[in-house]
Amino acid sequence: MQLVHNLRFTPFTFCRRLSATPSLAARCCSSPPSPTIAAKPLFLRPPHHPSTLSDLRQWYSWAYLLSTSVGSSFLLSDGGPDSSLLLRELRWLLEDVLDTSSGIHPHLVTHPDDDSHRKVWLRAEIGDLYRLWRQRIEERKPFQYVVGCEHWRDLVLWVREGVLIPRPETEMIVDLARDAVGKNPFLRDGLWADLGTGSGAIAIGVSRLVLGDGGKVFATDLSPVALEVASYNVCRYGLEDAIELRKGSWFEPLRDVQGKLAGVVSNPPYIPTDDMLGLQAEVGRHEPGLALDGGVDGTDDLLHLCHGASSFLQPGGFFAFETNGEKHCQFLMEYLAREFKGSFRSVDVVSDFSGIPRFVIGFRC
Amino acid sequence: MSRGTSDRAWPGGIFSARTEMPFALSRQATLRTPSEQSPPTHHRTYNEESNPFTGSKDGRRLQIPEETMPISFLRRSLRKALSFLHWSPSRFPYSNRPGFPRQKDVFLTTGYRCSFHSGAQGGSFSENWRRLCSYSSRAAAEPSTSDGLTLEGIISNQWTILDEGESDWRSHVAAIAQSIGLIKRRLKWKEMLVRLNLLSAQLDRPDIWDDPMHAGKISREYGSLMAKMKEVVAWERQLLEHIDMIKLAREENDSELESESLKALLDMRRSSKDKELEALLSGQHDLCPCFIEVQAGAGGTESMDWASMVMQMYRMWAQRRGYGVTVVDEMPGEIAGIKRATIKVDGEYAFGYAKAEVGVHRLVRISPFDSNKRRHTSFAAVAVIPILGDGFSHVQINESDLRIERFRAGGAGGQHVNTTESAVRIIHIPTGITATCQNERSQHQNKASAMAVLQSRLDQLEMARQAQMNAQHTQSLTEISWGNQIRTYVLHPYRMVKDLRTNYEVSDPDSVLEGDLDGFILSYLSTSLDKDEEDK
Ligand SMILES: C[S@@+](CC[C@H](N)C(=O)[O-])C[C@H]1O[C@@H](n2cnc3c(N)ncnc32)[C@H](O)[C@@H]1O
Repeated sequence: MQLVHNLRFTPFTFCRRLSATPSLAARCCSSPPSPTIAAKPLFLRPPHHPSTLSDLRQWYSWAYLLSTSVGSSFLLSDGGPDSSLLLRELRWLLEDVLDTSSGIHPHLVTHPDDDSHRKVWLRAEIGDLYRLWRQRIEERKPFQYVVGCEHWRDLVLWVREGVLIPRPETEMIVDLARDAVGKNPFLRDGLWADLGTGSGAIAIGVSRLVLGDGGKVFATDLSPVALEVASYNVCRYGLEDAIELRKGSWFEPLRDVQGKLAGVVSNPPYIPTDDMLGLQAEVGRHEPGLALDGGVDGTDDLLHLCHGASSFLQPGGFFAFETNGEKHCQFLMEYLAREFKGSFRSVDVVSDFSGIPRFVIGFRC
Repeated sequence: MSRGTSDRAWPGGIFSARTEMPFALSRQATLRTPSEQSPPTHHRTYNEESNPFTGSKDGRRLQIPEETMPISFLRRSLRKALSFLHWSPSRFPYSNRPGFPRQKDVFLTTGYRCSFHSGAQGGSFSENWRRLCSYSSRAAAEPSTSDGLTLEGIISNQWTILDEGESDWRSHVAAIAQSIGLIKRRLKWKEMLVRLNLLSAQLDRPDIWDDPMHAGKISREYGSLMAKMKEVVAWERQLLEHIDMIKLAREENDSELESESLKALLDMRRSSKDKELEALLSGQHDLCPCFIEVQAGAGGTESMDWASMVMQMYRMWAQRRGYGVTVVDEMPGEIAGIKRATIKVDGEYAFGYAKAEVGVHRLVRISPFDSNKRRHTSFAAVAVIPILGDGFSHVQINESDLRIERFRAGGAGGQHVNTTESAVRIIHIPTGITATCQNERSQHQNKASAMAVLQSRLDQLEMARQAQMNAQHTQSLTEISWGNQIRTYVLHPYRMVKDLRTNYEVSDPDSVLEGDLDGFILSYLSTSLDKDEEDK
C-alpha cells in the first residue's frame, strides 16, 4: 500500500500528467459548455415535448403503482428506498419534467379532475418517462441520475453516470470550512484545494460560501467524467475565475502550490474493498468504483491525504476529511498524533447529523 | 437616534417597515395654509373626488409617512414644511375657478385663509393634523355636519335603507352610516382609541429611543392603528360632508350639485362593503404569510385520505387567492393520504383568512377503503401559524439549544448509501418543540425550512403566552382537542358542508373541497368579531 503512494508521487508521473493535461478551467466559457443535450439535468432542458394532461396522468398513475408495489422490499434487502420515498421522488421527477409556465402544476397531475385534455409541455417525451421510471425501479438507477441533478445545500448540480452523487453528509464540510475561516479570517483569501472533487460540490460550496474575492479553489480529480461534470457545474455557477480544475491524483497536480494552501478539503473514497459487494444497489451497481473503493480497510486515500496535508498546507492551514465513520476517525486521530507529532493542532472529530463520527479536521501548526 | 436633534433625523429605516394596513391610505397631503394654531372654529370641507382640479396643480405634494408619526413630530414637521413653502393665496387658483362658485373659504382663528381640500386619497394635511390633535387630546368633538348631525345621530334616525338603485340620499346615508358602525365594531374602536392614546403617550416620552427595538415596535403599532383610525374617520367625515353638500344644494336649488353629491354617496355606499370586509382582517398578524398544518385523526387510511383531501382543499383555496404554496413537510400514509403535512402559504392576508380554519374538520361518507361500503366518519385537525415578518421581534433561538437529527439514521451512511431522503428534524430542547422538513431536495434546505417552522412555532408559543393578557392567538396542533369540531362535510347520505360555529352551510361539498372556502371564512370572521364586540 505504501508502495502505491510512493509511486503516485514519482516526479515522472507528475510531470507527464501535468504537461498532458492543461488546466481545464481555461476551457470554461461564459455560458455552460454543452454536454450532449440529453445529458443535461432534466429540469434545464427545453420543454419541447407536447402531451396532454390525461397522458401525463396515465403515466403518473402507472409509475405510482409501480412504486407502491415495491413496498419495503428494497429497504429490507439492502437499505434501498421504500415506496414512500419513491413516491416523493416521482413527484420531484414530475416537477422537473413539467413546464409550469402554462399554469399546469404538478398537483393538477396528481389530483385528477376533468380538464384532462389540456395540453402540457414536457422536458422529455412521455415515452422516455416510462423508460426512466422503469430504470429507477427495475434497475435501481439512482434518482439523481434519472433526473440528472442532485440538490445539495442550496445548489443544484448536474450529475451523471461516472460521477459520484454528492451525499447529504458531505454538505457539512462546507460548514466546517466556514467555521474555520470564521475563526481564522486570513484563510478567507487563500488558496484552497478540494481533492477528488467529483461533481465539484465541495469546491463550489466553499468558493461561494466561505472564500473572499482573493480566495481560490483548486479542484482535482483523476476521472475525466468527473472533471467534465465539475467544469459544467463550476460554469453554471459562474465560478470559472474562482475554481481551477486540474486533472491528476490527489496533490500531484498541485506541486506548484506546495506549502501554500490555506485549506484542504476532501471526501475521498473510503469504503473498504470487502464492503463494495454488499452495497445498496443504487450505489454498487451504478456509482463509479473509483469514487468509492478506499482499499483494504478504506483508509488508503485518507492516509495519503494526511501525508499530503502535512506538506501542502501553509502554517495555520485548515484541513477537513470525510471518513467512513467512528473507526476511521479514531484511527486517523491516532495516526496523526503518532506520525506527525507537532505538525498539526486542534485535531478533532466531528459527527454528522445522524450522530456518526464522520469528519476529521485540524490545522497545520 | 434621538428625535430631538433634528426632524430629518427621524429614523426612517425603522419606520419604513411595512405596517399592517388593510386600506390604501393617503400618504399625500396637499398643503394649503400655514397654520398650526388651534383648530378652526368654523370650517367646511369639501370632497373633491369628482373635481378635475384635485391633484394639486401647483404640484406641492408632501410625501409624509403619516401613519408612523407621533403627534409631536407631526407638529414639528408641519412647522418646518410650511417654512419653506412660500404660501400665497394667489397661487391657488382653485377658489377662483369659474364654474365652481361654492368653494368656501375658511378662516382660521389666526386669520389665514385656508381651503380645505380632501384629495381623492384621504384628507388634507391640515385636516389630518387637526384630526390628529383632536384625537390625541381625546377632547375630540364628534365630527358632525354643519347643523350638528353626527354618525350616531344618523344611525338613531333609523332612516329606511332602500335598494341601491333608489336615488334617495337618506337611504344611502343610512346604509353608509351602518357600515361605518360595523367597521368600527370590527376594529374594536373604543379599545383602539385607548390603545392609541397609550401608545402616543409612550412615544412622546423623551427616553423612548433608549430602546430602539421597543420604540420601533411601539411606533409601528401606533402607525398601523393610526392608519386604520384615520381611514375610518376620513370616511365618516366624507359622509358628513356629502350630507352638508346635499343640504346646501337643496337650499340653493342646484340640481347639478345635488346629483353629483348623490352619486358620490352611492359610490361611497358601494365601497363601504369592501371596507367592511377589509375591517375583518385587522388583527395584528393578519397580513402575514402562514403555515397551514393538517393532521389525520384516528381511523387509519380513511382519515389519512381525508387529511389529504383537506390539505388539497387549502392548496386550491390558496391558488384561487393567488397565494404561493410550498409543501414543507409531508408524512404520507402507508396506503393513501397523509398522516400529517405542513404547507407554507405566501401572500397578503394569508394568515388573516386561514386562521378561520383552525380546528377539527369532520367527514361523513361511504369509505372507498371499506370493501363493505359502510359509512365512515373521519377527522382531520387543522392548525395555522403566522410567519411573522422581520418587523416583529422573534424569539431568539440559541444554536446550543437545538438538536438536529436526520431521519432514517442507522446504517453506515456516507458513501455507502444513496438516498434522496434528507429529512431533518430540529428539536428545541428547552421547550421540546420540534419541526421537521423532508420535502426539500437537499438536507441543507430541509434544515433551513425546518428552522423557519421552528421559529414560527416558538413565536406562536410566545404569542400564546402574551395572549393570556390580551390578543387572540391560534391554537397549535397539539393544543387542538379532537372535540373541537368546527365543520362537518357530509357526502353521504345527503350532501352538505356546515360550519358548526356559524351555521353557515352549502349543499355542494365538491366546490368547497375544491377550495371555495371564502364564504365559510368570511362568515366566521364576521361572526366572531361581531360577537366579540357584543360580548362586551
Ligand atoms: C467519494 S468521491 C467524492 C466526490 C465529491 N468530492 C463529493 O463529495 O461528492 C471521491 C472522488 O475522488 C476521485 N478520486 C479517486 N481517486 C482519485 C485520485 N487518486 N486522485 C484524485 N481523485 C481521485 C473520484 O473520481 C471521485 O470523484
